[in-house]
Amino acid sequence: MTSRIAKKRGEWINRDKPLTFEYEGQQVQGYEGDTISSALWANGIRVLGRSFKYHRARGLLSFANHDVNALMTDGEDTNIRADVWPVSNGMSLKAVNTDGGVIKDKNKYIDYLSPFLPVGFYYKTFYKPKRMFPFWEDKIRKAAGLGEVNFNYPRNIRPKRHAHCDVLVVGAGASGLSAALAAAAEGLSVILVDENLQAGGSLSYDYAGDQSSADTLHALLSEVEANQNIRLITDAYAGGYYTDHLVPIVEKSGITKVRAQSVIVATGVFEQPPVFRYNDLPGVMLGSAAQRLVHRYAVKPFEKGVVVTANDHGYRTALDLASVGVDVVAVIDMRSSGAGQDLTQKVKDSGISVHKGSCIYEAVPSSNKLGIKEVVVCPYDENTAEADTSKSVRLSCDGVAMSAGWAPAAALLYQAGTKMAYDYDVEQFVPAQLPEGVFAAGKVNGVFDLKSRQLDGRRAAAEAASYLGKAVQLESFKAASVNRPSHPYPIVNHPKGKNFVDFDEDIQVKDFINAAKEGFDNIELMKRFTTVGMGPSQGKHSNMNAIRILARIRQLPVEKIGTTTARPFFHPTPIGHLGGRGFHPHRYTAMHQWHVEHGGEMMEAGVWLRPAYYAPAGAGLTASEAVQQETLAVRESVGMIDGSTLGKIEVFGSDAGAFLERFYTGKFADQKVGGSRIAMLLDEAGVVVDDGVAVRMAEEQFYVSTNSSNAATVYREMQRNVQLWKMQVTLVNLTGAMAAMTVAGPKSRDVVASLTDIDVSADAMGKGAFRTGKVAGVDARVMRVSFVADLAFEIHVPYKAGLHVWKALMEAGKASGIRPFGTDAQRLLRLEMGHHLVSHDTDGLTNPFEAHSESLVAMDKPFFIGQRSLKILEKKPLNKKLTTFVLDPDFHGEVPNECNLVIDSASQIAGRVTSISYSGYLDRHIGFAFVPPEHSHAGARFQIRTDSGAMVAATACKAPFFHLLESRGE
Amino acid sequence: MQDAVLMSPVAFAHALRKPVNGEVNGMETALSFDAADVEAKRSQTLSICDVSNLNRFGVKGPQAANWLQAAGIKLPGTTNSWTPQDNGSLVMRLGNTEFLLEDQPENDLTGMLNDTAVNEGGVHKVLRNDAAFIVSGELTPALFSEVCAIDLEGATLEENRLVMTVIAGVSATLLKQTLNGQSVYRIWCDGTFGPYLWKTLLGIIEEQGGGPVGFNFYYKLN
Repeated sequence: MTSRIAKKRGEWINRDKPLTFEYEGQQVQGYEGDTISSALWANGIRVLGRSFKYHRARGLLSFANHDVNALMTDGEDTNIRADVWPVSNGMSLKAVNTDGGVIKDKNKYIDYLSPFLPVGFYYKTFYKPKRMFPFWEDKIRKAAGLGEVNFNYPRNIRPKRHAHCDVLVVGAGASGLSAALAAAAEGLSVILVDENLQAGGSLSYDYAGDQSSADTLHALLSEVEANQNIRLITDAYAGGYYTDHLVPIVEKSGITKVRAQSVIVATGVFEQPPVFRYNDLPGVMLGSAAQRLVHRYAVKPFEKGVVVTANDHGYRTALDLASVGVDVVAVIDMRSSGAGQDLTQKVKDSGISVHKGSCIYEAVPSSNKLGIKEVVVCPYDENTAEADTSKSVRLSCDGVAMSAGWAPAAALLYQAGTKMAYDYDVEQFVPAQLPEGVFAAGKVNGVFDLKSRQLDGRRAAAEAASYLGKAVQLESFKAASVNRPSHPYPIVNHPKGKNFVDFDEDIQVKDFINAAKEGFDNIELMKRFTTVGMGPSQGKHSNMNAIRILARIRQLPVEKIGTTTARPFFHPTPIGHLGGRGFHPHRYTAMHQWHVEHGGEMMEAGVWLRPAYYAPAGAGLTASEAVQQETLAVRESVGMIDGSTLGKIEVFGSDAGAFLERFYTGKFADQKVGGSRIAMLLDEAGVVVDDGVAVRMAEEQFYVSTNSSNAATVYREMQRNVQLWKMQVTLVNLTGAMAAMTVAGPKSRDVVASLTDIDVSADAMGKGAFRTGKVAGVDARVMRVSFVADLAFEIHVPYKAGLHVWKALMEAGKASGIRPFGTDAQRLLRLEMGHHLVSHDTDGLTNPFEAHSESLVAMDKPFFIGQRSLKILEKKPLNKKLTTFVLDPDFHGEVPNECNLVIDSASQIAGRVTSISYSGYLDRHIGFAFVPPEHSHAGARFQIRTDSGAMVAATACKAPFFHLLESRGE
Repeated sequence: MQDAVLMSPVAFAHALRKPVNGEVNGMETALSFDAADVEAKRSQTLSICDVSNLNRFGVKGPQAANWLQAAGIKLPGTTNSWTPQDNGSLVMRLGNTEFLLEDQPENDLTGMLNDTAVNEGGVHKVLRNDAAFIVSGELTPALFSEVCAIDLEGATLEENRLVMTVIAGVSATLLKQTLNGQSVYRIWCDGTFGPYLWKTLLGIIEEQGGGPVGFNFYYKLN
């Protein structure tokens, strides 16, 4: 059986391109341009899915991207919305959430259990006994739900783009198109976006049997297409509104983040169903859905049907249906007043009877419950929402079109901060106070008459142009009055229920009544208890009726109930779209490729990539062996590490010394040129946040290093304070401009000396000395440092010459057995030296007194950052102290880890381990730990609790640890 | 050939594509990635070229502008703008008191400035390590729309304006100029981010049907 009708003007299908696909094992024919639902419906297929909870058969409802009972799986893709997704050749579709197919779904028995599954039942059951919960959870998850997640889904990169315009118009219906044209006429750049495949909104389907308004659409679209200032994007939705008019536009290919100067929201309205028993049967659909089927896809919604309506739109729908040969048995108008005389007469002239003040009391399912066979029509009391069943009439039909009213598609307006008010003239929430730069037009603004919508679009555009500084004449207009487009209470009570309000979650009228009885009578609470609006359609066809029902229950006006919060994204958006391509910047040192080629195991250190250790191919080294060998090379011969990641900042100017005195804890004003000092930085609370070395290169020039991860933070803080303190200082961040490497170990002097014109002898270059000269022919800055070894040289050269100098040093050190070492060995080496790492051994509360750094603090200075806090702290007793410790000789138990706790004699937490490593050189486990001050002196014993709970004895010990070798007689 | 002393920060990111390398300004440089006609076509569609080897000079400080003018340099009048010198060198004003100069291959203005002593206070030479790229082609707006949040299609880059922005998560300086009759975009970023930015931009460029072009495409060196 086919429901396809003869070619219609403006239809969206291409009859020259037939397509074949499979649905639930059945071959189906469609056309290019068909959606899955339209193609299935054209082929007489009425069951498009099963409902989420009761597994009831469902067909078309909105046909507007909200039919969440018609979700499909096609191979690796799932939750495909059949009402809008285009068919293509070879698709193999199955409805989601069925067991045994959509017709024979084994879970349909749940519908019979529905009386025992009232709203909120799963909040109250299954959780006792606790051990049974996993069993029930498994059952519930299998019975409910949507498509199955495919964990092997390929990663398709969906780019996130940026776009800019003067005016973003959301919605390309009559008002949106008019607004776009009017804004463009003012010379403004316009982006016009619409979620439908083609622009036009209701101009492409709501004809009332007369397609003359298609001429209006054609004229508007022609103008838009010809206008260079307008960029029209269709098949895309505006996902949300963010500050400063940032609106993400979601297309199949990805997201475009539109930054607009102003936004016109012309998003229209969502049609709302009347609520009566079995209003969910396949064949019962919204009036606008029936119109879309007819005019866009040339498909008859049904052969013989009725229209139930609570507004004039139902009459228009009836005329559209009659125009394509549908046998419309009756228009059943829930209003006692009925529609206007002209419209009523037109309907009657088409041979359709009109029943005012009547309702569908219930739809009667066909014997297999997969369709509808008749409706029971009764007189209806609008005040009580009761049907008079004593005067019921049965009308045979295979379909029902429903029109009861509209809810504004106002998510963007809400998100932008619009204050909405309930307008009783249209029985709808409308914008009462719009945020700056945001405008509303058309039905979402409560304007329904076609000509008025166009005028309203132009009015909004004029206001937007004025807002953007254009000299335009602002003219107000009065929208033509229309019969109330929405009914205040389109609900029909039924003692047996199954009068569905929310089709996503199978929520009936009685569920709201029960929720209110249980105290969930606030709209936000009711939403969560009943789950109304929490399904994939997010309440687009249910929230308004829910609000009306709650208002009736509480005997309050609708505006007192309010609406739920509208959050972006307003429509489900694939995670892949949100993730986009993903930019994760990394910094590379000049020697990066050398490290990779020599077995460097690269790791992320902040944004930098650094070698943790070197395990050259074929060497057969474990990570631990590599680290111990690298450490040993530094202790016994020579090693070299790439230290380019250190922060490097130059401080120039007549106030340079004075600035560092204020910025750091130590003294720098009297520092000699060519010397270096440790530079410790505190925050205002006296917490240690960084340490580095400050070198005085000239009277008015310092070269300061920072921890690798702190360069940007310290530089920014310096910039801030230079301005705050109004000092004559210029700062230059050389972190990326200079490569750095440290040559360390007893033979390091020989290696460096062989390549430099600087006198690096012990006499000429003691600890902390700084010299400039050539290294391997390159201008270099060389410093005697002792972070990882007693004898070490830190060499800084321009980045672009870094690899050259590194290679030259490796070559020069070959005879001495030089080894590159990575960050893992560096950590062990500094531990052996007894140097703590800021932010690793210290935390966000550690002050210098706790970190054994008193010697770096010049409290007698007039000012430095954090000094005020330290003055308070120095008067208080310490709670903890960072100390170096060693495990007992020949320890072979479970080795504690970093963050394991120090436990006191009362079994209370007394501290924690901050660093611990096995030193092959010392053959001991050594580390740092916070301990109570009384346990921080050398020789004090304390206990560490390991991951498994075992207690390990440790001894506080002075550092560097090399005295342990002496005690062994080495 | 002896290894060049200087390496482009992007050099190793080029390596997989096996470019024809040469030394420019002492720096190993990818001279070409493909045949000239292929690169010419790419440059019309969408292309990226590494020009990190061009000599640069940075200067900063309250007297930097006076010092440059005394050295005969024509300065941009306002911050965030640039001006070419008669010999083609670019002078970019990064802030009120900060400048970046970049030579063309055939001139050495930056060398002259490097050799000029600073005898007054308030002038500080700044060591530069920029990764520098030329991006060209009709799809450039599509590329930038994905990697940069600001509107580069409007007047943002007209009239010798300079934009400091974030490109693919990296702070960068951007301008638009005409080179060999072709409208191109210039990008500078911290050299340590250079390999990342090169790989990221090139990945998108290749998705769009473009590709890399060598230094010779713009500067015709051999």
